[in-house]
Amino acid sequence: MDLSDEERAIYEWQIWVDGLGISGQKQLKASTALVTRVGGLGGPLAQSLAAAGIGKLVLAHAGNTRPSDLNRQILQTHDQLGKARIESCERRLLELNPRLEIEAVPENIHEENVADLVSRVDIVFDCAPLFEERLLLNRECVRQRKPLVDAAMFDLEGQLTTIIPGQTPCLACLYPEIPPGWKREFPVIGAVSATMANLAALEGLKLLAGFGELLTSKLLVFSARSMSFRKISISRRPGCPVCGTVHPDPEESETD
Amino acid sequence: MKITVQLLGQARHLAGCDQMEVEVPDGASVDDLVPELTAGASDRLLTVLAEDQKLRRSVMAILNDETIDPAARDVLKDGAELSLLPPMSGG
Repeated sequence: MDLSDEERAIYEWQIWVDGLGISGQKQLKASTALVTRVGGLGGPLAQSLAAAGIGKLVLAHAGNTRPSDLNRQILQTHDQLGKARIESCERRLLELNPRLEIEAVPENIHEENVADLVSRVDIVFDCAPLFEERLLLNRECVRQRKPLVDAAMFDLEGQLTTIIPGQTPCLACLYPEIPPGWKREFPVIGAVSATMANLAALEGLKLLAGFGELLTSKLLVFSARSMSFRKISISRRPGCPVCGTVHPDPEESETD
Repeated sequence: MKITVQLLGQARHLAGCDQMEVEVPDGASVDDLVPELTAGASDRLLTVLAEDQKLRRSVMAILNDETIDPAARDVLKDGAELSLLPPMSGG
């Protein structure tokens, strides 16, 4: 998939980045990503992927814009209050990058749509607040062997890892249960979710274009309170019911 | 031995402090220090951190930037700085 003269001009500065280059830019153009929930995390993440020239985004997000969205859901606008969030996401991303192909799904991830949505993409970004949704997405990504970039935040902290099924821990290795007492609404500043979103976008761009070192089997833990980053080594959980029998080599896997 | 426990995410928020110090016998595991750590904790903090007086399975115990098995003995040493990271999510 070649780049047009317009695209070469738009992406000129990032094509200069060591390891990205013209070939990486072509890879991005040929790639499709799923972003599930396009809110405080998924919004700025989708924006960075769009700005970087990814070819297609599948966006899944239900519901209408609420006042409490506006501190972090930067693809929403004040005049969008009470209207479908997904419409604003699509419109604003196309304003930034009209070459981008968008499939806007006005639904969150659930049992009936997850297999189809994951099957259509090269990479998945999990930006959902509910563990039921995240673990469902994780299960499907492992089943279809799709890379999953998982970002999360709370208060002034955030975390990020890149899951390569069969090679790295999956989300169920980290969270073998739905954490009791978790509330969908939690303290967060938009700049924190946007920080984690942009780090997640970078993971995706590196993975798709094939440069740099990924957060595989590593959990990046960020604190804006102390302005510190830590890289924690994480391991596959023996007997994980989701990825325990998935072999690094797809040919060898018992689940395939 | 004295262990400094750094509380991250929800644990920090619910406890209202960055870290706590606990005193446990030599050779104690992370699970072993949970009762002292959660003594006097609110119900919500207790739910987030503990299950049957042990560390909840979805909470990561981190020592020297490695996750460790909460049941493992002789991993914690006097003066160790242990971090506990409960689950966090997107949105």
